Amino acid sequence: MFFYYLDLAWRSIKKTPFLSLLMVLAISIGIGITITTLNVYQLMSENPAGDRSDNLIAVQLWSQDKDAWKEFNAQLTYQDAYNLRKSDVPTRQTAMFVTGLAVQTEDPDFVPLLESVRVTDSDFFNMFSVPFIYGKAWDKSVDTEAVYQVVINEALNQQLFAGEDSIGKTLYLDSKPYQIVGVTKTWSPSPLYYDITTGAFKDSAQIFVPFSLAPIEEFQSWGNNQSWKRQSINSYSERLSSEMHWIQYWVEVQDDTQRDEYAQWLKRYVEQQQLLGRFDSPEAAAKLSNVEQWLEINEVVPEDNKILVGLSGLFLLVCLVNMLGLLLAKFLKRAPEVGVRRAIGASRAQIFFQHMVEVGLIGFGGGLLGLLWAWGSLSMLSAHFDLEDALTQLDLTMWVLAPTIAIAAALIAGVYPAWRICSTNPSVHLKSQ
Amino acid sequence: MLSMKNISKVFQTDLVETHALRDFNLEVQEGEFVAVTGPSGSGKTTFLNIAGLLEGFTHGDYFLDGVNISNLNDNKSATIRNEKIGFIFQGFNLIPDLNLAENVEVPLRYRGFNAAERKRRVQHALEQVGLAARMKHLPSQLSGGQQQRVAIARALAGEPRFLLADEPTGNLDSMMARQVMELLENINKAGTTIIMVTHDAELARRAQRNIQIVDGQVCDFTMYQGGARQQGMGTKADKPHLVTDADKPSDESEQAQTEQAAS
Ligand SMILES: Nc1ncnc2c1ncn2[C@@H]1O[C@H](COP(=O)(O)OP(=O)(O)OP(=O)(O)O)[C@@H](O)[C@H]1O
Ligand SMILES: [Mg+2]
Repeated sequence: MFFYYLDLAWRSIKKTPFLSLLMVLAISIGIGITITTLNVYQLMSENPAGDRSDNLIAVQLWSQDKDAWKEFNAQLTYQDAYNLRKSDVPTRQTAMFVTGLAVQTEDPDFVPLLESVRVTDSDFFNMFSVPFIYGKAWDKSVDTEAVYQVVINEALNQQLFAGEDSIGKTLYLDSKPYQIVGVTKTWSPSPLYYDITTGAFKDSAQIFVPFSLAPIEEFQSWGNNQSWKRQSINSYSERLSSEMHWIQYWVEVQDDTQRDEYAQWLKRYVEQQQLLGRFDSPEAAAKLSNVEQWLEINEVVPEDNKILVGLSGLFLLVCLVNMLGLLLAKFLKRAPEVGVRRAIGASRAQIFFQHMVEVGLIGFGGGLLGLLWAWGSLSMLSAHFDLEDALTQLDLTMWVLAPTIAIAAALIAGVYPAWRICSTNPSVHLKSQ
Repeated sequence: MLSMKNISKVFQTDLVETHALRDFNLEVQEGEFVAVTGPSGSGKTTFLNIAGLLEGFTHGDYFLDGVNISNLNDNKSATIRNEKIGFIFQGFNLIPDLNLAENVEVPLRYRGFNAAERKRRVQHALEQVGLAARMKHLPSQLSGGQQQRVAIARALAGEPRFLLADEPTGNLDSMMARQVMELLENINKAGTTIIMVTHDAELARRAQRNIQIVDGQVCDFTMYQGGARQQGMGTKADKPHLVTDADKPSDESEQAQTEQAAS
C-alpha cells in the first residue's frame, strides 16, 4: 500500500509542479537555516577528545582565601603546578601556558615572525594524541633538566623548511637557538578543550617548547592571568611564587581507581598546604573534571549559539505554517476524488496515510534541497567572515539529520490538512462534479 | 439483505433543520432490483448515502446482511463499503488522473489484492462493460456513456453483493441510458442486489420493484407480483401493477412519476 501511496503522491506532485516546488522551497529554506545553525552548534559542543574523554582530567584548586572568588579558577598558580608535577600517581601530566616569541631561522634573509608558543611538558603530545610526521616529543628528562628543544607543526615546517624533514635543525626563538626534535601533523581539536581560557575556537599553537624553560627564559604569559590577592609582582621569580592563576594543568588516568587515588593525593596536598598557611578557606579543595565535564563547566557552547538555534527553529516553524496553508488548499481541492475513494472503500486512516506519504515526499525533497542551502551558506559564511574551517564543514550526521528533520517537520505541517481531508464527509463531494 | 426501521435523518445547518428522512422503513431482499423515484429534494440521495454507509443517521435501526450498522467504526464501514457495496453516481466520478484500468483498480487496492489478482479482476470487469480494449485511456477520452460503464466496471470489480446507483443515467441520452440499464439488468440477473434512484419512469418500470420516496418517507410502494425476473423485465407487456397505500388508481400514480421525471 505504501508504494501505491508513493505513486499517487508522485503523480500529485507532478500534476501541480509549481505549488509543489513552492512547498519544497519553503521547507528547504527552513531546513537550510536550521541545519546551518545546528551544524555550527554541534561542532561547538562536540567532545573533541572522543573515547579519551574519561582519561583526560583537568585539575582545579580552590586555593583562594575565604572571602575571595566563589568558584574554582580554571587555572593554577605556578607554585601549585610545580608541586603537582611531582606526583607520580597520574600516568601522564602536563602544566602549560601560552607565550609569544619571535621566530627566526639560520637564513639571514628571513624576516622574523611573532608566533604564539605553547610552553608545556613532554607528556602533552601523548596525552592529547598529537600525531607526528617527523621525530617525536622531547625526552621526558627535559621536563626536569631544561634543554633548548622545540616541536613545530606541519604548516610552520612548510613555511620555514619547505616541508622537509627538519629534525636536528635550529630554530631561533627570541634569538635563542632551539633544536627541532619533532614536527606534528596539522592538528587542531575543536573546541580547543585543553586551553579554553582565551576562547575555545582558535587554532592550536604552531610551536611547543619545554615548560622547564619557563623559569630560565622567563616566558611571558599570553593567556589569562588572574589573581584574587593584591600582590606586587616586580620580577619573574615573584610571579612564580605569587598567588596568580595562569597555568593550565591536565593529568591522564587509566581508570576511576587511578582517578580516585589522584583525588586522594590532591586532598593530602591541600591539607599539607593548609599547614603552610595557604588554602585558607573552608571550601579549599581540588576538583577533577574529564573533558566532557570540563566543556560543560566552561560553557564552551556559548549562550548566543543556543539562541541562534532557537531562532532558526522558529524560522522553520514559519516555513511550516506557510506550507500548512499551501497543503490545505491543495488537499481540499482534491475533495471530490477523496469522496470517491472513500465511497469505494478507503477508510479515513487510509486517506490520511495517503496524504501523509505525499507530505513526507515533499519533505524529503525539501530536506535534500535544504542540505544544498546549508552547504552553500556554510561555504559563504566561511568565505566572508573568515571563520575557522572546523566550524564550517557540513558534519556527516547532518546528511542524515537534514532529511529526517525535513520529513518530520513536513509531517507535522501535514497532519492538519490530511486530517481535514480525511474527515470531511464524502457524500458532500459526491453530489456534483 | 437490507433492512431499515424507523430511520430518520436530520440535517442541522445554522438556521434550519432539514428532515431529509423521517420514519423511513424499507426491506430489500437478496437479488432484488429496486428502482427509487420521487420528487427532487425528497431524500432519495440521502437514503442511498445512508444505505451505502456514506452517511450516518439520526434515529432508527439499519441492518445490512444481518450486521447492525448503527455503531460501526470508520474502518469497519469502509471495509463493508469495499467488500459488499458498489457505487455508481450520476456524475460518473471517475478519477481524472487515472486511466481506466487504474480507476477500476482503486477499490481492489484498498481490498489488499495482489497485483495478479487485481489485473485479472480489472480485465474481467472491463470486459463485462465492453471497454477492455481501452484500458490505458483516460476518462476524458471517453463519452459519458462509456465513462458510466467504466464506473460500473469499478463497482463490479470488487464483486459486491449490493449495487447502489444514484441516477446512473441522469447525464446520458436515452440510447446510452438504455445501454447502461441493460448492463445493470444483466448484473442483477447474475445475482447482485441493485438499488437505483432514477427520474426516468420508463427505466423505473423495467425494475422488478419500484418504490417512491416523498418528503422523506417511503410513500408509494410498487412491486411486481411474483417471479418478475424470470418473466423478463422491461417490456410493455410487463407493465407493473401498482399497489398504493393511498389506494390511488395506478395510471394516475404512473402519470405523477412521469411528470416528476419531466420536471
Ligand atoms: N448536507 C446537507 N445539509 C443540509 N441539508 C441537506 C444536505 N443534504 C441534503 N439536504 C437536504 O435534505 C433534503 C433531501 O435531499 P436529497 O439530496 O436526499 O434529495 P434528492 O431526493 O436526492 O433530490 P434530487 O432528486 O434533486 O437529487 C433536501 O431538502 C436537501 O436540501
Ligand atoms: Mg439526489
